[in-house]
Amino acid sequence: MSEDKTQKQLLPTSLRALIIASSYWVLSISLTTQNGSIAAFVGCVLSCLLVDAYIDRPPLRNLRLGIIAILAIVVLAVGVALSAALTSNITLASMMGPMIAYETGEVLQWLIFSASLTLLLRAIAQRTEFGRVLEILFVATAFVITLSAHRQGMIHRPFFIGDFALTRGIDPSSILMAFGCVAVLSLAALLMIEHNHRRLPYHFAVLGVLCFSLLVYVQFFGMPTPRMTDDLGLTGAARGAGGAQDENPFRDGENDTSDMQAPVAVVLFRDDYEPKGGAYYFRESAYSEFNGTMLVVPHREDMDEDLIEFFTPTRVEINEPLDAPELRTSVRTTIGLLAPHRTPFGLDTPVAFANTPNPNNLRFKQTYDAYSMVPQYEFSDLIGRDSGDPDWTPAQRQAYLELPADPRYKALAEEILATLRPEFADDPYAKALAIKDYLDRNGIYSLKNEHAYADDPAASFLFGDLTGYCMHFSFAGAYLYRAIGLPARVGIGYSVPASNRAGGSSLLIQAINGHAWPEIYLDGIGWVIVDPAPSRTLVDMSVDPQNSLQQLLGDMLRDESSFDDFVASQQSGAFPIAAILRAVATLALALLLLAYAVKIYRLRAPYYAQPAQRYRLSYRATLDNLSAHGLRRRYGESREGFAQRLSAMTPSFSTMTYSHLRRALGAQAADRQEGQIVSVDMAQDIDWLALDRRIKQEIRQHEPLWRRALAVLNPVSWIHTH
Amino acid sequence: MTLEATSEDSPVVDNPSQTDSSAAPAAQSAALQRALSVLLRLSEAVKRQVLGRDDVIELVIIALVADGHVLLEDFPGSGKTTLAKALGEAIVTANEVDGSLGAIVPFRRIQFTPDLLPSDVTGGSVFDANANHFHFRHGPIFAHVVLADEINRTSPKVQSAMLEAMGEKQVTVDNATYHLDRLFFVIATQNPLDLVGTYPLPTPQLDRFLFKITMQHIEREAELDVLDSYKSRRDPVASEKLQVARSEVLKARETIDQEVVISGAIKTALVDISRNLRADERVLQGNSTRSMVLMLPALQVLATLRGRSFVSAEDIETLLPRVLGHRVELAPGVADLGRVLKDCMREPMEQLARATLR
Repeated sequence: MSEDKTQKQLLPTSLRALIIASSYWVLSISLTTQNGSIAAFVGCVLSCLLVDAYIDRPPLRNLRLGIIAILAIVVLAVGVALSAALTSNITLASMMGPMIAYETGEVLQWLIFSASLTLLLRAIAQRTEFGRVLEILFVATAFVITLSAHRQGMIHRPFFIGDFALTRGIDPSSILMAFGCVAVLSLAALLMIEHNHRRLPYHFAVLGVLCFSLLVYVQFFGMPTPRMTDDLGLTGAARGAGGAQDENPFRDGENDTSDMQAPVAVVLFRDDYEPKGGAYYFRESAYSEFNGTMLVVPHREDMDEDLIEFFTPTRVEINEPLDAPELRTSVRTTIGLLAPHRTPFGLDTPVAFANTPNPNNLRFKQTYDAYSMVPQYEFSDLIGRDSGDPDWTPAQRQAYLELPADPRYKALAEEILATLRPEFADDPYAKALAIKDYLDRNGIYSLKNEHAYADDPAASFLFGDLTGYCMHFSFAGAYLYRAIGLPARVGIGYSVPASNRAGGSSLLIQAINGHAWPEIYLDGIGWVIVDPAPSRTLVDMSVDPQNSLQQLLGDMLRDESSFDDFVASQQSGAFPIAAILRAVATLALALLLLAYAVKIYRLRAPYYAQPAQRYRLSYRATLDNLSAHGLRRRYGESREGFAQRLSAMTPSFSTMTYSHLRRALGAQAADRQEGQIVSVDMAQDIDWLALDRRIKQEIRQHEPLWRRALAVLNPVSWIHTH
Repeated sequence: MTLEATSEDSPVVDNPSQTDSSAAPAAQSAALQRALSVLLRLSEAVKRQVLGRDDVIELVIIALVADGHVLLEDFPGSGKTTLAKALGEAIVTANEVDGSLGAIVPFRRIQFTPDLLPSDVTGGSVFDANANHFHFRHGPIFAHVVLADEINRTSPKVQSAMLEAMGEKQVTVDNATYHLDRLFFVIATQNPLDLVGTYPLPTPQLDRFLFKITMQHIEREAELDVLDSYKSRRDPVASEKLQVARSEVLKARETIDQEVVISGAIKTALVDISRNLRADERVLQGNSTRSMVLMLPALQVLATLRGRSFVSAEDIETLLPRVLGHRVELAPGVADLGRVLKDCMREPMEQLARATLR
C-alpha cells in the first residue's frame, strides 16, 4: 500500500519539480551559458525530489527549519566561492583552456544556486503554510524578470527570444506569448498540485484551451497597443473624440519617464535627407488661436490652412500654396503608426498625405505616405524678410498676434531686443533668434514644475523660475513673438535627433520624442521653426534609440513583399509554427466536436438501443446527465451509496440504480456469463426511458438555470462517468 | 493483534424497501419471499425478547441462515444468553419427521471453565449395565443453538473439540462419529477485558467464526424498555409466541442458496480485496480463503433481507468489516483496521461498480 502511496505522490512531485526547474531555466537563460541553464534545471529537479522524498524521514525530519535554511545558505556560499575560485584560478584555465574553466564555474555555480535555493523553498513549503505561496511567487518572479524587458510593444526584447525568432522568420510575439502561457500554466499547476491531482489533467486542459484561445485572438485581432504618453496631446487616444481640444496641455507632474521608450511610429525615408538643425521635425497640429486664456487648435476656418485635421482614405493635398520652392527639396516618407493618431503627421513641411496598404496590420495601426517639402534654407535666406503673409486679411493676421493681456510679455521682449545689434533691430527673424537665445540661456528644462494650474502657465514660467518643458518654452516663445508683432504659433508633433537614424533609412519615433515648438511666419518662406533649446536640464532625456527595433520595424514597413519574402526564405528551414498552430487549432476543434458528438450519442443511445442493452445505456445516460451537474460517484463508492447520497434530490435514481444492478449483477447477468442466451422478458422490464425522464425532471427542480446551462454546454462531462 | 469492526455503526439492514414498487417489478420470486418472511419472523421473535440490539440480532440471524457461527465479545449481563435462548426457542421441531432428532434440543448453554473436559461438551460413552454395552450419551452440543459462554476460559483441548464440532458438524467419540443437527449454530462469547487465566483463541480457530461481534451498551431508551417490559418478557403469553419451524429455516437456507445470485464481478471483488489485504504491508496476516467461502452465504442472506435476489456491493461493504475483523492480523503499530480495509477495498469496489456498465 505504501508503494501505491509513493507512486501516487510521484506524479505531483515530479511535476512540481519540473515546473520550478523550468522557472530556473527561464531565469538563468539570459544570465548564463547553455550548460549553466541545464545545470540550474538539473540542480532544481534533484533538490526537489530529494526534499520531497526525505522530508519525513531522518535525518531531514529531525532538522528544524532554521537549520535547513542555514544549511542551504552555507551550501550556496560554498558553491559560489568554489566556482569563483575555479574561474579566477589560473591553474584550471591553463590546464583545460579558459572556456572549459569558465563553463565549469558556471555549471557549478548554477547547479548549487538552484539546488540550495530549491532546498530552502521546498523545505519551507513542506513545513509551513505560507511556503507554497513563496514557491509560487518565485516562479512568477522568474518569469516576470525574464520577460520584463518586453513591455509596451517591444517585441524584440528580451533579445535572446527576439533574435532567436527573427533569425528564423517567426514573429517574436508568438514566442513571447507562448512564454506567458507557460508561466500561467506553471503557476496554475503549482496552485492546484497540492489539492487534488486526479483532476489536474482536467484543469490543465481548460487552462490550455484558455491560453490557446488567447493565441487565436491575437492571430485574428492583433496585439494590444503600447501605452502612450500623452503630455503633448499627440495621440488620438489622448485627445478623445474631439471635445478635448481645449484641454490644458500643461499637465506637469503627470509626466512619467518610465514609458518614454515606447515606440510610437516608424518613419521610412524614400528620399535622401539630412536635416539642417540636427533634428527631424514632424508636425501633427498647431496651437494658433488664442481663446482668451491660452493658445488652442484653431476653430476658425482661415487659420493654419497648411494642416489637415483627419485621416482621409484617399490622397489629400494641402491646399495652401507653399512659398520658396527653390529653397526646399521634396522628400517622400512612409510612416507606420504603432499607436493611434487622429491626425496624420509628416516631416516639416508636409504637402500631401496618402494612405498606403498596411503590410502588417498586427503591428501597424495605420500606414501612409507623407510628401514633404523640407526646408533647406540658410540663415541668409531668412534674414531680411517681413513677418506674416501679405495675402492675409487683417483679421487673420490679428488672430496670429493675440496673446494674454499681460504687459510683462511686451516689456520682457523689448528688454531682450534692446541688446540686439542695431543693424538687426528691425529684422523679424533676428528678433526671433534673440528671444530664442534668451530662453536658451536662462531656461531650465524639467518635467516637474509648478506652473500647471496657474491662470497663465506660460507667464508663471516665463516670469517665474523659467523651469519647465517644451510646452512652456514654446508657449512663452510664441507669446513673446506675438508681443513684438511677429505672427507665431505653437507647433505640435515629434522632434527626433538626427543621430537616432544611425545611417539606416528608417527612423523610430518614441514617446519621448513628442515635442512642441514655437514657429513664426516669414513672408515668402512660410512657417519657420524657432525652437528654444535650454542649455540647462534637470532630467536625463536620453533614451536608447533602439536601433535594432528601428531596423526591424522599418523592414516590416518597407515593403509588403520584402518582409514576406524574407519570412518565406527563412521558412523552409524554420520551425513551421503557423502550420503547427493551424493543426493544433483544427485538432482542438475536432476534439471539441468529437466530445459533443460522444456526449449526444451517449445521451440518446438508450432511445435506439436493443432492449437487452437498455438497462446499461439508460443508466449510463442518466449518469452522464448527473455528471454534467457535478454529481459524480466518488472513487470506490458503491452504486447504492451514490444513489443514497442523491436520494434527497432525485429519489427515482435509487430505483434506477437498483433496477440496473439487478440486471447487471442478478440472474440474467449470471446466465450471460455462462454463455446462455438471455431473453429479456419485456413485461418484466421496467420503463427505463420514463425513469430517465423522471430523473431529469427531478434534477431540473433542484438545479438553478445556470448550472443546467453549464451542464448542457460542458463537452467532457461524460468523461467522468464510470 | 486483531481488531474487529464493532457493531455500533449503522444497523445491518437499513432500508429493505428502498425500491420503488410502482416502477420496479417484483424483486424476488415467491420462494425467496417466503424465505424472507421466515427470516423476518425469526428476527421478530428474537427482537421481542432482546431489546435494543437489532443490529446484533440481524447479524446473528444472517449467521444462522448462512450456516456460520458467531463470537460475541461483551461484558456480563448484556443479554447474550437471552439472545441465544430466544433464538433457540424460536425454532421449533414440532411435526418434524426426522428420526435423528431424538437427542437434539432447541437450546443448550455450556459454561466453559478451566476444568471442563471434551466429553462434557460432546457427550461420552456410558456403560449400560442392563444392556451390557456402552451407549452414547449426547452432550450439550446436540442442540440447534448452543451458547458457548466464556469460551476462552477453557483449556485448548476442549476448545478444539468444540471447534471441530463447529467446523465439521459432527463429533467423534470413541472412534464413532455422531452427526450434529443441520441447523447447529454456536454463539460463543468471551470477555475482552477480564483476561487473567484464559486461553485466548488463536487466529486459526477464530477463523471458524463467521462474525465476531463486539457489543456496546444499549441506548438509554432501550435500556428503559428492558426494565419496563421485564415482566412480560419473562412470562410470555403462549399465543403471542412467534415461532419458526426448523424445516422452514432449512428450506429458507436452501432457497436463498439457490436463488440469490452472486455475480462473477462480486467474487472478483472479494478475491481482489483479499489479495490487496495480504499485499498490504500494514497487514501481518491476511484473511483465509475459507473466510471468503464462508462469506458467500452470508452475503446471500443479507441480500435477501434487503429485498434483493442478487448480491450487491453494499452487501460487501456491510459484511466485510464484520467478517474480516477477527481474521486479519495487523502489523505492530497499526491500529486502524477500518482504514486499512477501506484502502484495500477502494480499488476492487471501483472495479465492481464499473463492471456493471460493461
